[in-house]
Amino acid sequence: MIKKILIVDDSPVARRMLKSCLPKDRGFELFEASNGKEGFEKYKDIRPDLTFMDLTMPVMTGYESLEEIIKYDKDAIVIIATADIQMKAIKTVLDSGAYMVLRKPLKEEDIQKALSVAEDTLLKQKGSVNA
Amino acid sequence: MPESYTLTEEEREILQELMNIAFGKSAADLADVINTHVELRIPDIKLMPISELPAYVQEKIKGYTNIDMVEQSFYGRFKGDAVLVFSQGAGRGLISLLQNDEHEALESDPIDILETETLMEAGNILISACVGKFAEMLKDVVTYAPPMVVFNKHYSEAISLNHDKKDMAAIVMKTDFTFTKGDVSGFLFLITAQESIKWLKEALQSFMEQYE
Repeated sequence: MIKKILIVDDSPVARRMLKSCLPKDRGFELFEASNGKEGFEKYKDIRPDLTFMDLTMPVMTGYESLEEIIKYDKDAIVIIATADIQMKAIKTVLDSGAYMVLRKPLKEEDIQKALSVAEDTLLKQKGSVNA
Repeated sequence: MPESYTLTEEEREILQELMNIAFGKSAADLADVINTHVELRIPDIKLMPISELPAYVQEKIKGYTNIDMVEQSFYGRFKGDAVLVFSQGAGRGLISLLQNDEHEALESDPIDILETETLMEAGNILISACVGKFAEMLKDVVTYAPPMVVFNKHYSEAISLNHDKKDMAAIVMKTDFTFTKGDVSGFLFLITAQESIKWLKEALQSFMEQYE
């Protein structure tokens, strides 16, 4: 089950939009970071079940932060939420280990689907650890 | 400047995010056509009297000595001017990218016509996709005047001041970009007409209500 969610985006508006698309009755613990560096630091601190990551950010981009997170935890589930929907951007982050890419502006149904798929993956990961 | 023509921090942040989304869409549209990647930056949002606009634009583009520009006006409740400023020679860079995409006819046309048409086409894609997406998110529909291409201007002549409008205000949304191929970079300025500001402020609030 997803408990901790980390949202990494330099835009407070984008973070607010994303949070509003998350189901309110699931009791998620939400954490926020405003650039890729802070996002990576918080990832190591809190070990979220799921991370939403923007790409175009100051200090450290989402591309770099994603690479650092995957280097640190190869099973990390990082969903890229971005306005940069160019094929090269999508291919680059998927090659770097992103779990999936969502296009901004985010829609509630896209977030719900992403949560559901990510939850299946988490269950499988836990199953393979316990086996 | 009248007090109603100030931007709150929240309005500025919403505009920045919407501009980010809108330009992301237009970059993707252009990248599909010219087979390159457009590197995006964080947009800059300012509200200023029109009299300060030329100095602001000149400061932003001072890294370029000479520039090529595509200008296009748009009309809706969201109304204003889009000014796309390229480093001089961008047209030729874009032509080389298009030729890689097997646009065979380009080789037979004179280079100045090709440059004009290429800049106009690239400008049209970037501006209309960006302005269109921006307006769509705020539930507006815009129409466009034909784009106008201006070649080889000194950067200090980028924006000429219309004296009839110098007491008016404008919201200026600026983003800069670099193409990973073709040695092309530039800036897109969206300059919102003063008569749109009241509508824009209300539209921003309505947009965010769906996320509350």
